[in-house]
Amino acid sequence: MNLFYKSKFFNLVLFTLILLWCIGIIWEVVIHFFPNTIIALPFLKYNYSLVCHREPDKLLKIGHYTTLVCSRCSGIYFGALISSFILLFAKLKKVSTKVMLLSSVPMFIDVILHTLGVYTYSKPIALFTGLLLGSVGFIYIHDALKIILVKQIKE
Amino acid sequence: MKKYLPVLVTGFAAGVLSVVPFLKGLTCCLIVPVAAYFAVILEQKSKNITGEFDLKKAAVLGLLTGIVAAVFGSFFEIFVTLITKNNTILNSFNEINQSVNSLPFSDAVKEEVLSIMNSVAASIRETGFSPLYSISIFVNNLIVNPVFGLIGALVGAKILNSKNQRN
Repeated sequence: MNLFYKSKFFNLVLFTLILLWCIGIIWEVVIHFFPNTIIALPFLKYNYSLVCHREPDKLLKIGHYTTLVCSRCSGIYFGALISSFILLFAKLKKVSTKVMLLSSVPMFIDVILHTLGVYTYSKPIALFTGLLLGSVGFIYIHDALKIILVKQIKE
Repeated sequence: MKKYLPVLVTGFAAGVLSVVPFLKGLTCCLIVPVAAYFAVILEQKSKNITGEFDLKKAAVLGLLTGIVAAVFGSFFEIFVTLITKNNTILNSFNEINQSVNSLPFSDAVKEEVLSIMNSVAASIRETGFSPLYSISIFVNNLIVNPVFGLIGALVGAKILNSKNQRN
């Protein structure tokens, strides 16, 4: 398998893992279609509580169901999912450290302004600032992982 | 052993911090990635690495920090539960109960889930130990922490490298 196919396979593995993680986030929707999977709900709730505060007011609503992480975290993970999906078909430009740090600025401004009480928590703002960091952050981390992969293949 | 000192020190610290009540929520999204970043810095200082930090080495350090944090974090969580006969699952049991009941499913399905939760809660209240709870904590931590450790170490190493390039 040459480098091209290995890196494609690597991207596919990353996309699948992030997809599984994102499916876990919308597990209540999964239960709607496969009721027996409700058994996993308490454990998934514990699992996602490791990575998110899960305050009920900040969870995204999808019809009758809520996500298992807050709007901001949902944005980050779904942003990473979007980037990993695009990477399956296209080559994205390298992201510098400066750009990665800049992409986190809107999210931190939102956190600070909301904490200071300048405005009340807005799910769309939290979601979109999370999406920005998640999508850019994934490309940044993907680049590092790709360097490791290439080095590994060459060795 | 000396080779793994940065990982053991930072992983242990992250494991301890993961059972501190207010910091608990930050375990993965902040504590483990920061611990992995510190593992990279400690490795750099102890080996006197002045040039570019090897990303593969950073990835291994991040994964190992996550594993160490998961092992210590799970151990402390189970130990604290054993002594106090109380934990986050018991505290959030009402919330889980409400959210399961609010879902539009048949009562039989809801009953099944709640009976499992009840048996876990009952054995924690009585003995302070539930095998199902302990296994789920250990497995969850072992999956989530290394991933976040890897992310923290890679981002940390890349930031260090870009800083070194500028100097």
